[in-house]
Amino acid sequence: MTWFVNIFKVWYNELRDIIRDEGIMIFIILVPLAYPLLYAFIYTTETQHNLPVCVVDQCNSTRSREFIRKVDSTPEVRIAGNAMNMAEAQELLRKREVSGIIEIPRSFDRDLAHGKQVVVGVFSDLTSMLYYKVMLLGVTNVAQDMNRDIKIRNYIRPTSRREEKVARMPIDFEHVQLYNPQGGFSAFLIPPVLMLILQQTLFLGIGMSMGRTRERNRGLVIPPHSDYKHVVSVVLGKALLYFCLYIVLAVYMCVVVTHWFGLPQLMHWDVFFGFMVPYLLACIFLGFCFSTFIFRREDCILLFVFMSVPLLFLTGVSWPGAAIPEVWQWVATIFPSTFGCNAYIRAGSMGATLGDIHHEVMAMWYQAGFYFLLACLIYTWEIRRAVGRTVLG
Amino acid sequence: MLDILKRIINISERELRAFLSRPIFFVCLVVAPILFLTLFTSMMNSGLPTKLPAAVVDEDNTHVSRAVVRILGSMQETDIVQRYSDFTSARKAMQRGEIYAIFRIPRGTTHAALTSRQPKISFYTNDSYYVAASLLMKDMRKLSELAGLAITRETLRAKGVNERAIMPILQPIVIESHPLGNPYLNYSVVLSNLLVPGILMLLILLSTSYAMGIEWKRGRQKDLLNVAGGNVIVAVWGKLLPQTLLYTLLMWFVQAIFYMYLDFPCVCGMERMMLWGFLSVIASQGLGLFFYELFVGEMRMAMSACSLWGVLSFSLAGFSFPISAMELPLQWMANLFPLHHYFLLYEAQALNGYPALYEWPSIAALIGFSILPVLLLPRLKDGFINKEYAP
Repeated sequence: MTWFVNIFKVWYNELRDIIRDEGIMIFIILVPLAYPLLYAFIYTTETQHNLPVCVVDQCNSTRSREFIRKVDSTPEVRIAGNAMNMAEAQELLRKREVSGIIEIPRSFDRDLAHGKQVVVGVFSDLTSMLYYKVMLLGVTNVAQDMNRDIKIRNYIRPTSRREEKVARMPIDFEHVQLYNPQGGFSAFLIPPVLMLILQQTLFLGIGMSMGRTRERNRGLVIPPHSDYKHVVSVVLGKALLYFCLYIVLAVYMCVVVTHWFGLPQLMHWDVFFGFMVPYLLACIFLGFCFSTFIFRREDCILLFVFMSVPLLFLTGVSWPGAAIPEVWQWVATIFPSTFGCNAYIRAGSMGATLGDIHHEVMAMWYQAGFYFLLACLIYTWEIRRAVGRTVLG
Repeated sequence: MLDILKRIINISERELRAFLSRPIFFVCLVVAPILFLTLFTSMMNSGLPTKLPAAVVDEDNTHVSRAVVRILGSMQETDIVQRYSDFTSARKAMQRGEIYAIFRIPRGTTHAALTSRQPKISFYTNDSYYVAASLLMKDMRKLSELAGLAITRETLRAKGVNERAIMPILQPIVIESHPLGNPYLNYSVVLSNLLVPGILMLLILLSTSYAMGIEWKRGRQKDLLNVAGGNVIVAVWGKLLPQTLLYTLLMWFVQAIFYMYLDFPCVCGMERMMLWGFLSVIASQGLGLFFYELFVGEMRMAMSACSLWGVLSFSLAGFSFPISAMELPLQWMANLFPLHHYFLLYEAQALNGYPALYEWPSIAALIGFSILPVLLLPRLKDGFINKEYAP
């Protein structure tokens, strides 16, 4: 029974240590509380609206002005300037006053009247891929709409409202953006970022506390203390501390923050705990394994912080998972975030049930089990070393 | 003068020895950037992701609808991995993460289209995977538009319109898109090109304050100041110069891979980008040193500040989500990140070949970052003498 009691003793000792350490507190309390808000704020506008573009209207007719007016009235694009020629427009582009150019040829009106095709040029700045997408979408919508007008006015000549409607679009279509009601960046990037913040701050917190213990005990991971004799109680006691704290932080992120910023939240509590418990356990035990490489408390900042960006890409959220080479998909299975991010997106944003995310949940349980055993092995070795050292010392 | 130079070289040697004796430096500063260079460039090898998994729900199942499905399958972004007979099972496959989009042709579509009753086809994209959804949306939208136009074409043919006259009727106004500087819409050109230097700059930020802090941690800061002859500037120069060299070489290596090996566009010429790379390196070092001066002696606080700042730079540099779409305070804040300025310079110079003069604010900002530590030099000097390592 002593080992069971020792779990709580270790838990209490670690808790006391961490509370006094403001460096660790920053990473395991302040960052998980503040960063979700900051990121949500960054992406709160969801997408680019009213992208400033410049028009080179060489035709200057009623019809070309109609085209420009319609483009200006789209939510995507705003006409921010007129230029006499392309050179002048490019100058505006260089000065970053506009992000794109629409070029209407001199023959625009005449060709349309003669029943010829006209080509409108859309030059888009690639500062962001989003600029290109937004501008092309806005201008294409206007062009298609005008095309339909021209078609029925000049050629089809319907005789009734009903016939006109059908002639405009013989086959209607609709695009439904599922699971992302705003169709923007927030509901797409925030969920994986939240999960990554959980994982990375856990790594940092655990690593720092390990570095601190090592610095205090001349390189030993195990404090010379009678509570730290049994390996399972050491590992579980430490894990319990982080788990208790992080389950609260996970609720804060996945429930409170998402609610404040109006992000989709479709999961029930059983699903939430169903994937969050193995996720946190896997992160904690992997953190224990990684922390054996940490000898000074500052080392872990150097080692863990920059990993966040590649890990985000390896989750297959920001870059489609189907397009990631197989080698990297294997590398990605080391990290709980790969499965955690996808499980959370599917459960939280897409309303998947536990059955739907079974694969991810099981993967995280396997990770948790494997890293738990690995952590136990490492700690057994460390305890032996500590005992040897104390006997000799 | 010669004396100062000698001291700088002395300290640099001391620094190099320390550098070689610590594997963590080697891992973070050489192995990590090269690993991520391979990761990002191989991940985005194809430029634009193509053939993304999608499903079709063809409830109509006529030869016309099957032809439409075949065309969809042949399009660039779409790979039809599954056909479902009802929508619910397709939606469940989407929730399991097997597909990114569903194209649905309801029962009776062909019949309604042929009898002028305007059927409606729909496509559903999973926008919680935004990039994949956007790419598939492009294909499916184009196909839906074309399906309607095919009907009109048949109507016009029936009316006896000349084949050559049909296209101008179907599509009088054609939009021709010119993505400037990156005509193939290669994502790697936009992302790898900034992510790898970005990670390098984050590492520089961290390791600069790490390298400074380690002196205090080992209690050797006074020794360092002695070797420098009591001159803080000499101490800092001697310490950071070898790092400047190493980082600059790494940055140039990364750029050489991009512009010479992978042939990413570089209109302004390689040497110009090397200059901006160098400026970004010293800007990051300056910022790292500045953070250390703020918390002098408290190495961990300085590094925490650096990491919190550095991680944000990936979002606020503006290459994934554009700065112009963010709230106003964030637009101002973006100027405080060296990566943002490197990005602007890269975009204007390498991608579009505009004269550097247009980006003078960014050049000035990068130089500004690198001389920022001068402001707090007295504080650093005081720290050398009076501050001890605080955990």
